[in-house]
Amino acid sequence: MRCHGYPVKMTFRSGEALSGTINMSSLQASVHNKLSCSDCHYGFSSEEHPKRHFATRRDYTLASSENCRRCHFDKYTKTMESIHHTMLSQGNLEAPVCIDCHGSHGISHISKERALIAKRCQRCHAGIYDIYAKSVHGNALFNENNQDVPVCADCHTAHTIEDPRTLNYRERVPDMCSNCHANEAIVGKYGLSTAVVDSYLSDFHGVTLKFYRLQKGALNKPAKPMAVCTDCHGIHNINSTVGPDATVVKANLVKRCQKCHAEAPKNFPDSWLSHYKPSLTRAPLVFFVNLIYKIFIPVLVIGLVLQILLHIWRYVVNR
Amino acid sequence: MAFSTVIQEDRVRRFSPGRSVEHLAHVITFVVLVCTGLSQRFYSLDISQWIILHLGGIDNVRLIHRFAGVIFSFEVITHLTVAAIGIVYKKWQPSMVITKKDFTDVVHNIRYYLGIENSPTRGGRYTYKQKFEYWGILTGVLMMMLTGVILWFPAVVTKFLPGEIIPAAKVLHTNEALVVFLIIAIWHVYSAIFSPEVFPLDTSIFTGYISKSRMLREHPDELAEMEEKPLEDIPTSS
Repeated sequence: MRCHGYPVKMTFRSGEALSGTINMSSLQASVHNKLSCSDCHYGFSSEEHPKRHFATRRDYTLASSENCRRCHFDKYTKTMESIHHTMLSQGNLEAPVCIDCHGSHGISHISKERALIAKRCQRCHAGIYDIYAKSVHGNALFNENNQDVPVCADCHTAHTIEDPRTLNYRERVPDMCSNCHANEAIVGKYGLSTAVVDSYLSDFHGVTLKFYRLQKGALNKPAKPMAVCTDCHGIHNINSTVGPDATVVKANLVKRCQKCHAEAPKNFPDSWLSHYKPSLTRAPLVFFVNLIYKIFIPVLVIGLVLQILLHIWRYVVNR
Repeated sequence: MAFSTVIQEDRVRRFSPGRSVEHLAHVITFVVLVCTGLSQRFYSLDISQWIILHLGGIDNVRLIHRFAGVIFSFEVITHLTVAAIGIVYKKWQPSMVITKKDFTDVVHNIRYYLGIENSPTRGGRYTYKQKFEYWGILTGVLMMMLTGVILWFPAVVTKFLPGEIIPAAKVLHTNEALVVFLIIAIWHVYSAIFSPEVFPLDTSIFTGYISKSRMLREHPDELAEMEEKPLEDIPTSS
């Protein structure tokens, strides 16, 4: 600190420079305020200060991120599976490493302020951030400071960030949505039904998806990517299904249907009961057919079994 | 379709070989339809998952189910056409048609089982039990043929009909399938296998012959009719 409290700077072969002056107050406020400098900058002390050469400032950042591994090995290994690490290993040096998201000297606890998580991703994914900010989730987060809504890391995870364009990722979408939408404690207070997940999972698409997931690897790959939550509701641009946005959702629906059911007419989406249980007001035809069988099947079974028992009884008596 | 010997010493010709083949075809297609269909309805059961995964996945199971459905529909249409031609042109007796006697037979037989009547009902070519089973399954199968086509081509159907038809057809198809399955699994299997009168198996549909003693007990009216009339007038099919 004797030196780094004063204006010093590092220079790189590329001509870039980095200030070596440490902001003491941000260091004291960080979660690492109990650590000493050489815990991270190992091999360095006031006595021993080897000269190191880096081609660019980015090279230095990438190399420094390796230091986190010594303590945070679990997180470090998780990032090895991420799309960011894949991009890095393919030569894209701009792919983010620990320091890019967490900072260096001023590392703070990340889960305190959820909006900050989204803001971190915004630095590279600005386009998606803007779309998310306008969605029902983003809007609640930024305008109402709602801490229940999902931020980027809730679906994409924080470290194991997978390529979201894969079939594998797509098939897990209902799991991600059901983390909140099947949890009464979270969505109940907004008047949202937790039945949405079950009604999807027990319908044609949900059942098909279930088997596609079981079949993976061993059996033939699915013919078409199965419709999941995001196909009708959107991904980053998820809108409310009630209120002024409802018509938008409905109009998008038929377009999505037509991706697989090419000749689907305009009223085709009506064949999906929109997560509602059939009732007298909603889908009365389905309700009545169901009701008739609910009565008829037990009556039939009891009748047949009684006939059989009577028949056996008579046979035994006659002998 | 008269047989050389309809009534023999101790047995009676009951079904033509064509009927035996028809029955076997129904058995095979029905088993395929039940395995591939009910496993979709009860998809969360382990046995269903085992069936679906061993048949090559859900897409394959649906494909097999649909084509088994087409074959079954073809069998049903053939059966009805043969019956219609037989009744109209060959003057077969419409012996499967439910008459007033069948309803009184139900009451009579239940009274007999309970010990109120002294003798069971006198069955004709088909007893009331066989007739109700036949029509129960036939109407169920016709409904499933119709709803099966709707479910196969939902996008085409909704061009002409409201969207709600699709989930309604699904509910009807799966429930009616369960009804037909239960009729077969409970009633038919009991009557043809476990009933003490035929155990271990009622072989008449496979061999075409039924013993005279059973004929006398279960279809006395038909036997009486056969013995009075000349052979060529005796109907051999419904």
